[in-house]
Order: sequence, then C-alpha cells, then structure tokens
Amino acid sequence: MSHDPEFDGAPREKGSQSIVLRGVSKEYRRDEFRIPVLQSLDLSVEEGEFLALMGPSGSGKTTLLNLIAGLDRATSGDVIIHGQNLGRLPETRLTRWRADNVGFIFQLYNLIPVLTAFENVELPLLLTNLSKSRRRENVMTALRVVGLQGREHHYPRQLSGGQEQRVAIARAIVTDPYLLVADEPTGDLDRTSAGEILDLLEQLNREFRKTIVMVTHDPLAAQRAGRILHLDKGRLVDDVSQESQGRIGAAS
Amino acid sequence: MKYFHYIFRNVRRNPVRTLLTVSSLAITLFLTMILVSFFSINSEVTSSVRIYNRIVVLSSQGFAGRVPIARNKEIAAMDGILASTPFSWFGGKYNNETMPFAQFGIDPDTFFTIYDELIVPTDQLKEFKGDKTGCVIGKKLAEDRGLKVGDPLPLKGDIYPVDLNLTVRGIYDGPTNRDRRMCVFNWEYLDELIKNSPQSRTNGGNAGCIVAKCKSADAMVPLCHKIDAEYHSSDTPTLTQTEEAFGKMFGEMMKGLRWVITMISLVVVVALVFVAGNAMAMSLRERTTEIAVLKAIGFGNSLVLFLVLAEAMFVAGVGGGLGAFGCKLLCDTVDVARYSAGFLPFFYVSLANATMGLVLALLIGFFSGIIPAVLAAQSSVINGLRKVV
Ligand SMILES: Nc1ncnc2c1ncn2[C@@H]1O[C@H](COP(=O)(O)OP(=O)(O)OP(=O)(O)O)[C@@H](O)[C@H]1O
Ligand SMILES: [Mg+2]
Repeated sequence: MSHDPEFDGAPREKGSQSIVLRGVSKEYRRDEFRIPVLQSLDLSVEEGEFLALMGPSGSGKTTLLNLIAGLDRATSGDVIIHGQNLGRLPETRLTRWRADNVGFIFQLYNLIPVLTAFENVELPLLLTNLSKSRRRENVMTALRVVGLQGREHHYPRQLSGGQEQRVAIARAIVTDPYLLVADEPTGDLDRTSAGEILDLLEQLNREFRKTIVMVTHDPLAAQRAGRILHLDKGRLVDDVSQESQGRIGAAS
Repeated sequence: MKYFHYIFRNVRRNPVRTLLTVSSLAITLFLTMILVSFFSINSEVTSSVRIYNRIVVLSSQGFAGRVPIARNKEIAAMDGILASTPFSWFGGKYNNETMPFAQFGIDPDTFFTIYDELIVPTDQLKEFKGDKTGCVIGKKLAEDRGLKVGDPLPLKGDIYPVDLNLTVRGIYDGPTNRDRRMCVFNWEYLDELIKNSPQSRTNGGNAGCIVAKCKSADAMVPLCHKIDAEYHSSDTPTLTQTEEAFGKMFGEMMKGLRWVITMISLVVVVALVFVAGNAMAMSLRERTTEIAVLKAIGFGNSLVLFLVLAEAMFVAGVGGGLGAFGCKLLCDTVDVARYSAGFLPFFYVSLANATMGLVLALLIGFFSGIIPAVLAAQSSVINGLRKVV
C-alpha cells in the first residue's frame, strides 16, 4: 500500500488514525434539487476503535457509513481510510479496495439464498488467488469464530435470524479486513440474538483488533461500542467517548 | 472455474422458469436441426455425385418434356460415353400409398454399370435381366416393407394409366449417402404397357431423361455441349448437364422454400432471444439486492457482467445442446427417413450441424443475457442495498 500513488501523506503506524474525514459533504441530486445529507463533517477514528453511530431516521447514518466503506463518494471533502484517500481511487480500484479492506454486515443479513452457509462465506474469497483448500480452511476458521461450525451445509432459510447474521459476520471477516461496517446489525433480531451478535462484534474488536463502525437505533447496542457519535440533520452533534465508563476500545 | 458453482445455483433458483427456457430452446433447435440438415444433406449429396462422371440428358423443356428413346442408343455410341440408360419416374401407388418410394424405369443391362456405387449380387442381376417384369429394390426399402427376392411388388399407376405387376428379383445396397429405397424396373415393360393401353395419350417411346456415364471427368462438360448441339435443331432439343448440376437445379427449385424457412428460423431465433432475455431479466430483478451485495463485497462490474452472461449462455446452451444433439442422437439411432413417406431416402444430422446448433443457442443466450447483464453491471450499489434496508 505504501507504494501506492494514491497513498495519502503520512505513513501508517499502529494506533494511528484509521478513519479520517475532513470537511466531508454529501448531497444527492434529484432533478434540479440538491438534497444536502451530510454537511462539512470532520471525524477521526483510531485504529481498533469500536464506534457507534446513532441518530434519527434520515439523519444520514447510512450515507456516512457508505462513504467510510467506499460504497459511495463524498460530494466534497476527503475520506481517508487507513491512509488511503478513497476519492482518488477509480471505480475498479475502489471495488478492489473494498474487497481487501472492508467487511460488510447488513440489517437483513443479505445472504445469497441459493448458497449454503459455507458458500456464502466463501464468496469474498473467490476474488482472491487462494487455492480451494486454503479457501476452505479460511471459511471454516471464520465459521468457528462465529460459532457456527457444523452448520456449513445449511442454507440461509434453514437458519434462525441470529444464525444468519453470524454467517454474514463470518462472510465479513473471512478475508481478514481491518474495517467492519455494520448498518443496524441487530435491527431485525430479538434481544437474546441481538446480545449474541453484539458479543461477537465486541470480541472481534477486542481479540482481532478490528475497527468497527456500527449504525444503530438501539441505545443498549450502542453502549457496547467504545464511542458513540450522534448524527442529526447531517451534522455530528456530540461525541461521547465511553472510555471513562470502562468500555475500552482497542485504542488503549 | 470457481464461479461455476454460483452460476449453476442461480440457474436452479427458479427451476420452472429455467425449465421453460431450456425447453423452448431445445424444441426450436431440434426443429432447426431437421430443417438445416434437410438442406445440407441435399447439397452434400449433390456434390458427392461428382466422382461418378454421370451426365443427365433432359428435354429442353425440362421435367415436363420427354426424350425419345432412340437417343439412348445414339448417346451410348458417342465417344467418351461408357454406357447410358433411360431413367423414367413412374410414381405409382403401393398399397394405396401415394408416393411411397421412388420408382424408375431403366435399362437393366446398363443401369448398375452406370450407378456402379450400387451393388447387386451377380446372380440376382442376371435374374433381373432375364425377367421383363422384374425389379431391383434398395436394401432399406426391402427392410421397411419386409420384401424378399421373389416377392410380388404391384404398383398402381398414378401419373400413367397403367399398373405394374413387378416381382422383386434383386436387392441392391450402396453407400449411406445414396438412396437405398428406390425400386428400378425395366423401362421396356412400362413402355409396352403404355403402347397397349387404350387410355394412353402417347404412343410411348419416350424416356423421362437419359443418364449416361462418361469415361472420364474431363469428358463430361464437352459431352454435354456435344449432345445438346447434336439435337439442337431437332423437334426435341435436349438440355444436358452433369449429375451435380442437375442436382443443383433441383436445389434451385427449392431456393424459394429455403429462403422462407431461413426467414422463419431467423424470426424464431429473435423471438427466442426475447423469451430467454425476459426470463433472465425477471430473474435478475428479483436479485437486485444480491447483486448490490456482491458488488459491495468487491465483485467488480465486469465480473457481474460475466456472471450474468455466463448464466444466460449456460441455460441457452443446455437447451440448445439438448435439442441439437438430441436430434442428432435420434437420427443416429432411429432411421427417421423411413417415416418420411418416401420423401427422404436417408436422413442424418451431421456433427457440424449439431455443433452449429449449439453455437447458435449460445449466441441466443449471449444476446438474451447482454442487456440484463449490462443493467446488472451498471446498477448502483447504494440503491440496490437501500431497496431492502
Ligand atoms: N439516493 C438518494 N437520493 C436522494 N436522497 C437520498 C438518497 N439516499 C438517501 N437519501 C436521503 O438522504 C437522507 C439520509 O438518508 P440515510 O439513509 O443516510 O439516513 P439514515 O440515517 O440511515 O436513516 P435510517 O435510520 O432510516 O436508516 C434521507 O433524507 C434520504 O431520503
Ligand atoms: Mg439507514
């Protein structure tokens, strides 16, 4: 990455800034109208942090998450992830970058229904040069981490919501990305399953030092994160670090 | 191919829809194979007769005209001619079947010299020459009808006002690309009946055409010219051409038909592109979110394009392959010509034609998949994901 021509400025080091947003604005255009969604937003997230994004519906949480994950581009400002200025990557490079660096977790799991748990988790690995046996090894490891060993031949419809979401998490971590983005990962789950998913995310953050950005409406879920950000009408209104409460992210 | 698994699973996603697409392609390709083979067999047979050095003497009025039988001897006596025979289509009914198989009045003394690719046992040929009401039939015809040497073979006149009471005297065999369902009998027998028939409007003495074998390939064209020049100023001028050119003339007659069939096939192919394309588009609309997820996790636009195209081509290829090679297999195992009521002496689907059918099906798959594939490749990830959340 350091030989990358788009590499942005200072070299990366442990504990350095994992996510840097500088004056980021995002607006959608619909016909003649411009709909401003995010307005000159500044944000920095340390490597290994677990960040929760909260805010009312329509406040731009998903939009912000999409920018951080390289799914969408800012209208102005810089989005620098792990030293990489995403705005400068052409489309194909950006896609490749996502495959290498980001794991996605969605509210509705978004598994491929015609593929088994194993095959779903294997999908991102098809983009790599790994041999079949190496892919298998990695898939089994990921399934073990999420506690679904023995379920690899099940189809999504044969799994509970909580289990489906765990397969989705296995799919998100199987390529060992360093950033995980989750958009309301517990939004469709009951308390118990939600708790298990949050435990898992916490574990991934603590043990595997994954940087996690999670959008949630649930204050209890947000409590699990090391830091909570509130978004309102496209602006960050406060920035509550929970480190003082003993919920220490990996930044310590 | 590590993506094949995923493609295959998508194909099975909606089995009924896939089955319908596969079936429509299979049926169409099956029929296309029959039509294409019909024409290609025709031209193949036409060009394969080149090696036999035969020329065909017709009346200058074409098939409607007659050639006086005296010409047979005159032509046979020409320099460079090995032998010649009258060749008259009888077209009689057998067991009240109209046009059951081809029947020709010929000269028993020369016919099997001229058509030397057709083999008839020496003793049977001798019997045939010795019996004016005898006939020789093809091996396939004998098999179809359960006929043996010595069996009667009555033919009721349809164009001619006379009936032939033939007896099978021999059975010939020959290469697979030759008509082995003919019945040949003595032209003189037919001519005598015509002469003695009160309903007959002619006095006989005419052949439908005359077929002669030349001593060498080089001699054929000059002989054609020579024969036509010879009779140019008689009351019955001739039109002489090589057997190959004669076959092509038949082909020309079917040209209009061939054009119509080609056009119909084209229309069907285009319709199929729409049918398969619609099925593919429907299938992808149901997968909008999935496609967005694939793109989010790093599947590039070109890979998505490839996956969709591969899926469309796979479905079409399976259907087309089943139709084309199924048709070939059927024609290889079952003698289809037998059920064509004498219209086709033999029938087969060549490997080249079947392969071409498969390629055609893949092309249909490609064109049916290209628009859905491009749409999927260009679809927005953000919008695709938003659809669900
Ligand atoms: N493609 C788009 N075109 C136009 N407007 C859009 C588009 N995507 C999002 N918006 C608008 O941007 C605003 C922010 O949307 P976003 O999805 O980021 O909100 P959110 O905070 O995630 O909401 P929720 O909690 O309901 O998921 C909304 O007003 C939405 O209507
Ligand atoms: Mg949202």
